Amino acid sequence: MCGITGYIGFRDAKNILIESLKKLDYRGYDSAGVGIVDKKLKVFKEVGEITNVEKQIPQIKGTLGIGHTRWATHGAVTKENAHPHVSCDKKIAVVHNGIIENFKKLRDELKKKGHKFISQTDTEVIAHLIDDVYKKGNLEDAVISAVKKIEGSYAIAVVCADEPEKLVGARKESPLIIGAGDNENFLASDIPAFLKYTNRVIYLEEDEICVLTKNSIKVFDKKKKEIKKKEEVITWDVKDAEKSGFPHFMLKEIYDQPDTVHQALRGRISEIENSIEFPDRVEKLLNNNPASIHIVACGTSFYAGLVGKYLIENLTNIPVFVELASEYRYFGTRNESSLVIAITQSGETADTLAALKEAKNSGCRTFVVTNVIGSTATRIADAYILTQSGPEIGVAATKTFTSQIVTLFLIALKISLLRNKLGSDELYNYIFHLKELPRKIRQVLDRSDEIAKIAKHLKDVQSVFFIGRGINYPLSLEGALKLKEISYVHAEGFAAGELKHGPFALLTRHTPVVAIVTKDSTYDKMLSNIGEVKARGPKVIAIAEDKDTEIENHADFVLRFPSDSRVLPCLSITVILQLLAYHVASLRGCPIDKPRNLAKSVTVE
Amino acid sequence: MKAVILAAGEGKRLRPFTETMPKVMLPVANKPVLEYVFDAVKKSGIDEIVVVVGYKKEVIMDYFDEYKDVKITYVTQEKQLGTAHALLQAKKHIKDSFIVLAGDNIIDQNSISKLMKDPSDYAILIKEHPYPSKYGVVFVENNSIRRIVEKPREYIGKYISTGIYKFPRSIFNDIEGCTSQGVHALSSVIQSLVDKGKKINTVLAKSWMDIVYPWDLIYVNEAMIQGTSASAGGIIEKGVTMKGAVSVGKDTKIYSGSYIVGPALIGEGCEIGPNACIFPSTTIGNNTVIHPFGEIRSSVIMDDVHIASNSFISHSVVGRGNIIGNNFSTIARKSTIEIEDEFKKLDMPIGAMIGEDCIIESHVVTEPGIIIGRKCRINSLKRIIKNVPSESKVM
Amino acid sequence: MKCVILAAGEGKRMHPLTFTRPKVMLPIAGKPILEWNLLNARDAGLKDFILVIGYKSEMVRNYFGDGKKWKVRIEYINQGKALGTAHAIGTVEKFVDDFIVLCGDTIFGKNDIKNIIKKGTKIGLVEVENAGEYGIVELNGKKVIKIYEKMEEPFSNVINAGIYHFNKKIFNFIRKTEKSPRGEFEITDSINMLVKKETMKGVLLKEWRDVVYPWHLLDANEELLKKIDKKIESPLGKNVTTIGNVSIGKNSRILSGSYIEGPVIIGDDCKIGPNCYIRPYTSIGKNCHIGNACEVKNSIIMDHTNVPHQNYVGDSIMGQNCNLGAGSKVANLRLDKKNIKVVLNGKKIDTKRRKFGIIMGDNVQTGINSMINVGAMIGNNVFVGPGTIATGEIKPHSKIL
Repeated sequence: MCGITGYIGFRDAKNILIESLKKLDYRGYDSAGVGIVDKKLKVFKEVGEITNVEKQIPQIKGTLGIGHTRWATHGAVTKENAHPHVSCDKKIAVVHNGIIENFKKLRDELKKKGHKFISQTDTEVIAHLIDDVYKKGNLEDAVISAVKKIEGSYAIAVVCADEPEKLVGARKESPLIIGAGDNENFLASDIPAFLKYTNRVIYLEEDEICVLTKNSIKVFDKKKKEIKKKEEVITWDVKDAEKSGFPHFMLKEIYDQPDTVHQALRGRISEIENSIEFPDRVEKLLNNNPASIHIVACGTSFYAGLVGKYLIENLTNIPVFVELASEYRYFGTRNESSLVIAITQSGETADTLAALKEAKNSGCRTFVVTNVIGSTATRIADAYILTQSGPEIGVAATKTFTSQIVTLFLIALKISLLRNKLGSDELYNYIFHLKELPRKIRQVLDRSDEIAKIAKHLKDVQSVFFIGRGINYPLSLEGALKLKEISYVHAEGFAAGELKHGPFALLTRHTPVVAIVTKDSTYDKMLSNIGEVKARGPKVIAIAEDKDTEIENHADFVLRFPSDSRVLPCLSITVILQLLAYHVASLRGCPIDKPRNLAKSVTVE
Repeated sequence: MKAVILAAGEGKRLRPFTETMPKVMLPVANKPVLEYVFDAVKKSGIDEIVVVVGYKKEVIMDYFDEYKDVKITYVTQEKQLGTAHALLQAKKHIKDSFIVLAGDNIIDQNSISKLMKDPSDYAILIKEHPYPSKYGVVFVENNSIRRIVEKPREYIGKYISTGIYKFPRSIFNDIEGCTSQGVHALSSVIQSLVDKGKKINTVLAKSWMDIVYPWDLIYVNEAMIQGTSASAGGIIEKGVTMKGAVSVGKDTKIYSGSYIVGPALIGEGCEIGPNACIFPSTTIGNNTVIHPFGEIRSSVIMDDVHIASNSFISHSVVGRGNIIGNNFSTIARKSTIEIEDEFKKLDMPIGAMIGEDCIIESHVVTEPGIIIGRKCRINSLKRIIKNVPSESKVM
Repeated sequence: MKCVILAAGEGKRMHPLTFTRPKVMLPIAGKPILEWNLLNARDAGLKDFILVIGYKSEMVRNYFGDGKKWKVRIEYINQGKALGTAHAIGTVEKFVDDFIVLCGDTIFGKNDIKNIIKKGTKIGLVEVENAGEYGIVELNGKKVIKIYEKMEEPFSNVINAGIYHFNKKIFNFIRKTEKSPRGEFEITDSINMLVKKETMKGVLLKEWRDVVYPWHLLDANEELLKKIDKKIESPLGKNVTTIGNVSIGKNSRILSGSYIEGPVIIGDDCKIGPNCYIRPYTSIGKNCHIGNACEVKNSIIMDHTNVPHQNYVGDSIMGQNCNLGAGSKVANLRLDKKNIKVVLNGKKIDTKRRKFGIIMGDNVQTGINSMINVGAMIGNNVFVGPGTIATGEIKPHSKIL
């Protein structure tokens, strides 16, 4: 995953581009480069840190430029392969984030026409494609023409030395955002790149092209029809998007969890009043006696939904169905007596928005659990609950997952209260222990080193299986997802009882198993599952509570979470799974904040 | 001019509070001590600080990534081998004269400015102290140091060294010379300089406080809390009386009938009352719950604490995450406290000092000056007459 | 010639009013401070403006737009990080030649601006009583020798007024300016370098008003209101009394029994009365409601705010979208008649005023018969419950029940 940036305005492009690349470096930086138009196009690129490029650039006056931080996907890490890539006459420069699937075919065609290539990257093809159809004075037409031929994903920023008043951008799948400034405009893969200079953003959608000048922004569709776009104002602070001394955003966000759990509870529970309160609109919906609850979500939010199912059904006896948002439109019975809860961190996930709209069309009441105020989901649903976790920058969701679970638990408690199924003593107990959660999480965080030691055993294996029963089953799915996402080790989660129905065939000495073992009704069966697993060769890493001594006779390694977590021990277990994935990825040298091929808010269906 | 702040030390005498954080991060009036030092340094006009960290450095680095536009560089002292050795770690970041100060001493900005402006190459901030024998005592002659003696047995003078100096860059050579001969304390390095004839000017400090023992947290808190002003946040119910300088953080709820007399500082997300009484010089951290009829005075209560009803807490320190049952009583009186194999006689009343994450059941009473460690468990109806080590149970 | 106005600052000492707006947008006598400067500069002959914005820039941009409404041209530059006056001025280098700079949060008069526009590098100067809190300017005749930092014992009462006439050469000196002890790049340091190479003349200003703390807005409000003319653009109901210079905007309803003692300014779309008493030096914004049995004196009431039933507001400033419950009153005098002290940003400050009411941020609601004591500083979105007493500093989003 690379980061791209573009600037056109009155300030020195050099400083602006380098500053924004540094803010984007969490996306990948095995090499970096900038291209600045100062009467001519001047390109500077270098392997390694952004400062290596910075040192190369002399005092240069251009106020138009593009920049790139590269995390290599095609082609080795070399200076030639770094972006920007230029056309044969060195007048057009392109930076690119994404993958061009048919680049070889395109390159061959261009070579036949006489174009010369100097790198092994797919990106270089774009520069030549544009050059091939370029007619003076019309950079945007050339770009529109060129991208029509591309199969794959891209976010590109293009400049041409002959048109120093233009900066052109185009997007397909990879994110690209316009920063609307005063007497200047910005393009970037992500908001922190320009937040210091403007808080007004325009999100580019699929297949859109934009032409920026110092004073104007025009957006076109692929037929060159102009589209009117809405400006959004970003309310978060520049500081919110900083790593604060942690090596990765993801680690900072894992460590944020004691605070974000507090934030999810703040203003909602009162120990002294023994009460749970949501905003009026939400309470009305919860009080409406839904006959069934449908939870729709994607990815990690979907797993939070699965955990929510256990929590809500246990406390309220209302049937809960959890659906993948992308599948929701294809099946399912729903009507006015269903309550649909959408879970989406960003509030912009395209699949989830589509599911919400489906739900509304079927007459259901809807509300959304999200982290972003003012997002599209909050405008579509009847009501919303904010998880209040602050921006989550790391692509792999961490703190928003735990906050979503806390919020779903509060919803379960509230519905239970409204239906008079929860006595005040029980409620007090729950509230008291909810307040304990941040401390429990802190205790797990203190044990990060032990988890790092165990992570060594997962570093070089073929595949890792995660198993659990009951509420631990969705946790095992999430644990596997985290490991996959950031360390690229293949992992799969299973309900422990399902292993014998097929997956056993995959178990070997090289496929360790992580088993979540909690002291409840699932305990004994989990022990026998572990026995079955060990008989087939793999090492077993158990996640068990402090006081559980029996488990040591069964598992090879044990990771502990605090006992006497009466409420939501799943949060402590989740933190262990997050840290486990983090340490494995760290040992393998993976780019933790910028997993390959993944984007933070998936705005494509 | 740059400043070097020494923040590597553990603070063994501040256990159990320093078991999870370095002593410079202990909270005084809801801010870490180090933050007061940063503030004073910044206000004197210094905009670049080198911080020498060591013990539990993540806690510091996590809190202070950037501080109000002051550039902070962290250097690690891998092994805690004395103050001179700690200062040496900063050598490559210092090119000119600089100030060095300890991160756990609260000092005012005017004293730092005076020190910076002193014309001599070497200068030291000194303070008059009623009990000089506990510190490095400085024998002053003609406004410069004649002798500096650590914890003298006999009376040499009323001035003590604050440990805050101005040095030229050459001090690093002097330190290297001394450490190679096995001398690790900065004060000894100073003495050797004096012996060689160097003139070290003395500058009188205005206000200076250090934190050595857990009870110091109470007195320093009392001193620093005087600067609080009344400021209401969160939800204040009807029938709450707040007198004087009481600051209430946001999202906190103060229930009816509570009576709060300032100066008092209450953090964010707390629940106080109903009918809780909080008396002066009390600081309460964030997310803490004080149940009805709790009485708290002259105490420091940290974050995430639950104090159940009818508890009386006076002149005490309650660490983070404690769960305290109802009818908990501290007895605050002058006392002699046993700590780290020393016996300290206190002239001020002292209650209990309780480390993090303990669970104390109902009707427990603590004798004056008791220190309870981390993660202890105390059953109900117990009278605590001896210190309780960390992670132990009193059944 | 372009006029550059520095409008990027938050104005922390203007809390709670500046939690939700930049300092330059604080309204006095019916217009934001920045608008007064724009109008005076326009009347002095300047038609091209560059506003350097930053904190809550949208508020400035949304209000002023491209300047057509005032028949001027306005461009915006975002300062990025707040790094000081020299840095702010430095951002406009590519857009100006000979130009005027003025600090957007200080009000300058039209004639003074005309004098500054006259040819030559200039700096505006003004004589004040509390010179020690400003930058003292050392002169040789009219020539500027040096500008000094705040001094405890100033040698002169002549200070830097915050208005300058520069040419392109200033940018060279700005580039060489180093960070001050405050950690900012100050234009005064750039000027001190400039005057060693060029001549800069001091121009003594006749009109000048700066505002540091919220109560200074009341003083500025009073001064500007003294200059307004009588202008009533809405029909007055029966038995409405207006005395002196009263300015009323369009589409407002002034109901029977309203007694308005000027100088008072009332905005558009307001509902005033019946039977209310509005006393001198009061500015009321747009779409406000001053209702029956209400008395408002020497106060600034911002847009969309209601003082609707049996209320008293004196010597106070109320933000936008506030609503006072019936019977809510503000106290503005201590029983012992001493100066009123307030707590601002956690610090105690003496307003040096015997009469001072309260400062209320935006979106504040009070319940019926609530009482707000002297010197209360109420943050935005606070709820003061029925029958309660609100005192001291109240943080935003709090509830006093």
